Amino acid sequence: LAERLYAEVRSEEALYLLATCYYRSGKPYKAYRLLKAHSCSTPQVRFLLAKCCVELSKLAEGEQVLIGGVLNKQKSQDDIITEFGDSASFTLSLLGHIYCKTDRAAKGAECFQRSLTLNPFLWSPFQNLCHLGDKPDPDQMFKLSALPNSTLAPPPLHITPSQNPSHRLDTALMETPQDTLELNRLNLESSGKLTSDLSVSYIDSSLISPETGSLLGNTISIASAGSLLAKQNKPKSGRNLLGGPAALSPLTPSFGIVPLEPSPGDPTYLQNFSATMETQTTASSKKSVSRIGQSKSVFSQSGNSRDVLPIPFNQSQTSAPHTSGSPQVLSPSMSGPPNVQPRRSSRLFTSASSTAKENSKKLKMKFPTKIPNRKTKCKSAKTSNSSNLNESLDILRLDPSLSLPDTRIPQYQRAAADSVMALLRELGRGYQALCSYNCREAINILTSLPPQHYNTGWVLTHIGRAYFELAEYMQAERLFSEVRRIESYRVEGMEIYSTTLWHLQKDVALSALAKDLTDMDKNCPEAWCVAGNCFSLQREHDIAIKFFQRAIQVDPGFAYAYTLLGHEFVLTEELDRALACFRNAIRVNSRHYNAWYGLGMIYYKQEKFSLAEIHFKKALSINPQSSVLLCHIGVVQHALKKSDAALETLNRAIVIDPKNPLCKFHRASILFANDKYKAALQELEELKQIVPKESLVYFLIGKVYKKLGQTHLALMNFSWAMDLDPKGANNQIKEAIDKRYLPEDEGILTGDHFPHVDDSQDSSIMTDADDTQLHTAESDDVL
Amino acid sequence: MATPSKTPPGADPKQLERTGTVREIGSQAVWSLSSCKPGFGMDQLRDDNLETYWQSDGSQPHLVNIQFRRRTTVKMLCIYADYKSDESYTPSKISVRVGNNFHNLQEIRQLEMVEPSGWIHISLLNQRTNEPISTFMIQIAVLANHQNGRDTHMRQIKVYTPVEESSIGKYPRCTTVDFMMYRTIR
Repeated sequence: LAERLYAEVRSEEALYLLATCYYRSGKPYKAYRLLKAHSCSTPQVRFLLAKCCVELSKLAEGEQVLIGGVLNKQKSQDDIITEFGDSASFTLSLLGHIYCKTDRAAKGAECFQRSLTLNPFLWSPFQNLCHLGDKPDPDQMFKLSALPNSTLAPPPLHITPSQNPSHRLDTALMETPQDTLELNRLNLESSGKLTSDLSVSYIDSSLISPETGSLLGNTISIASAGSLLAKQNKPKSGRNLLGGPAALSPLTPSFGIVPLEPSPGDPTYLQNFSATMETQTTASSKKSVSRIGQSKSVFSQSGNSRDVLPIPFNQSQTSAPHTSGSPQVLSPSMSGPPNVQPRRSSRLFTSASSTAKENSKKLKMKFPTKIPNRKTKCKSAKTSNSSNLNESLDILRLDPSLSLPDTRIPQYQRAAADSVMALLRELGRGYQALCSYNCREAINILTSLPPQHYNTGWVLTHIGRAYFELAEYMQAERLFSEVRRIESYRVEGMEIYSTTLWHLQKDVALSALAKDLTDMDKNCPEAWCVAGNCFSLQREHDIAIKFFQRAIQVDPGFAYAYTLLGHEFVLTEELDRALACFRNAIRVNSRHYNAWYGLGMIYYKQEKFSLAEIHFKKALSINPQSSVLLCHIGVVQHALKKSDAALETLNRAIVIDPKNPLCKFHRASILFANDKYKAALQELEELKQIVPKESLVYFLIGKVYKKLGQTHLALMNFSWAMDLDPKGANNQIKEAIDKRYLPEDEGILTGDHFPHVDDSQDSSIMTDADDTQLHTAESDDVL
Repeated sequence: MATPSKTPPGADPKQLERTGTVREIGSQAVWSLSSCKPGFGMDQLRDDNLETYWQSDGSQPHLVNIQFRRRTTVKMLCIYADYKSDESYTPSKISVRVGNNFHNLQEIRQLEMVEPSGWIHISLLNQRTNEPISTFMIQIAVLANHQNGRDTHMRQIKVYTPVEESSIGKYPRCTTVDFMMYRTIR
């Protein structure tokens, strides 16, 4: 139908409509080609074109569209703001995205900052900033400044950013609770995949901006969800609407600010809102092309008159049938004005969010512009749910300006906005803490969220991830299984869960998870990563490699898949390919400290210790809290003969995480290598208490005793070590014993797993560097 | 050292693989045979199927050459031989030689089997150091068969390298999950 209309009318608006239809139906290339063929001047069209460009990875073109060609003077960001009006924050966000992907992270960060100031409800620029390693202050960002009534009247866009935010806050707030979280989750999940990459080196342009990765992830996930978006529009409205009444009770208590008193203004307001919502829904459901003509008239009508109330309402009534369920939900809700007060807000929120996409950020009360703005917003909303918020804000603005002089409304709005803002702030702080790997803090912040938010997949996943980064795999596993229970459809973050299970060696759970995820969604890289982890745990490395490669095929922007693939190659000793994989991971996301760690490990294996140290330190700079990393650095330093530095590093590691037994173990071994036997023994005794079943501990104790000459104790410990590890990859233990007691060996060497090996009678030199001296000494003794 | 009693079968190497102590690296090598009957060649030797086998078609000694791209540590070889199904084709004397290339091979193990009926594990350890050998090339030579058969059947051969024990440090493997959890960042 849109095509018919366009053929009929051939106006920009119709063109825009058609392009939006294409875009919504998940075919951005159609929209792209269509828009390219016709010159586009209106900002909305440009914005849509830019979005298509971005999705199709034609970043330069997208940028050009937004900023102006190389020939023309490049517009500054202020120009963009003026030009795009309400949708400026989305535009800036998109622009930031482009900048980051094209490796201009600084400019990208700047764009994000601007877009956030314009619209603090935008979660995605905030997220992207976190990824870039900026530490945006959530308190600053999500601030609800005073909301004077006058601002409810449509102010020009840049009157005061604070006023705008407050406006947006209102709407945003309304929208935020339900949809934000969900949308956030959507966005965050996509970015969440890449959240591990976070380094402040956004200035370090040599590194591909992780932002790029995350943004790419975002876009990709959005693109992949593009086809879903169309559906999402409807479900979202449905959800919102449903969420509306349902949200009433939770909304009221959680934000607690929105009083429950019905007011005469409410019904009308509600109607307004629903009307607008309907309109928007109408507008958004471009797919319901059947109503295009009607919606056009709706638009024009609403554009022409400030009295949007009745008209959109009517329209919405008529256009009701085409949105899925939302009209139905709407009508009943509308029919219940009495308890509408909170409902209104929630409805506003919900509808705002749902139709937010459609909602244009319209600050201008000019409806015609608003309508196209809405469309723009719809698009931008795709990137950020905050756009929904904006929409709702717009709607709110719209409504009040329209008919309701009721000052309570803005107050409610503001109150609601405040509460939502507070929530956003908390979420923002938690997220940012996680991104900068302040995991303990992140955990604290996120656990202090109110329970209904705490029990959502997003929050739990991120807390689980925080525990994972702290190497507290038990806790992480607990949380992740909770996430699975609550939201079994959630895939983002599942790859971290799978790695947790890998560390804990729970192969049954891991294979169940793998099966479930691959059955559920074959197109998401996380599922394949989980499957790969599963096989890796079973030591079927070739199959694991295959799965990781599949994950990369599905989503080339998913840095973790590269990292896992690199680890598999390391395990199969194909170090060159592993190097390439890790480098790829870093290319995608330079704050992915796992990849830096992997590179360090490879260099360590190749005995290029200084290179290893550099890479480990880089990883450490990204994630300063990881005791495992510190442990590794300590060992490398020891290998570089910087034993004091090594000891110090290990001490730091132990301070950070006293539960890490390996740090103690390595400290003991360094002390041993430095001939500080007493201290080493002390460490090892402590270790024995912590991990009584670990044969390595006894092995090292045995070696220490051997060096000290207390051979009976040494022998005792060696035999304990052998008992604990009968499969004896520990020929070292056997040899350690061998060297000591040559003639008396036969009795000791039980459980020999080399049936044809002649007992070595000679004191061969062990490869263990620490022991070289020891063994030569021993062999001398023996001989 | 041949004993009149039959050579007992060893454990299934798949079990060994699962312990994570060894890794099969035959896929990283170039294999070649001195001779084979059409349809009973290299593929059948490396196909993980105990029903299919390699049948040689020349004069003794029959050779299986395994050449690696780079110097590789090899801990053991596993050969599947079954007297009951192969009878006179079953190898009885096998010599394992290693070296850098064809001209540089040195015998490191010679092994006699009497009516084998399963996997034979041949561990390749340096005599002096008891460490797995590290080499470019391995040659398995069948010097004699049971009942003085001319050609030989070999059903499966696997080559194992020791797995790098600990991810860091030169210590043997950890045994507890607690240790292993902290071993590496993934």
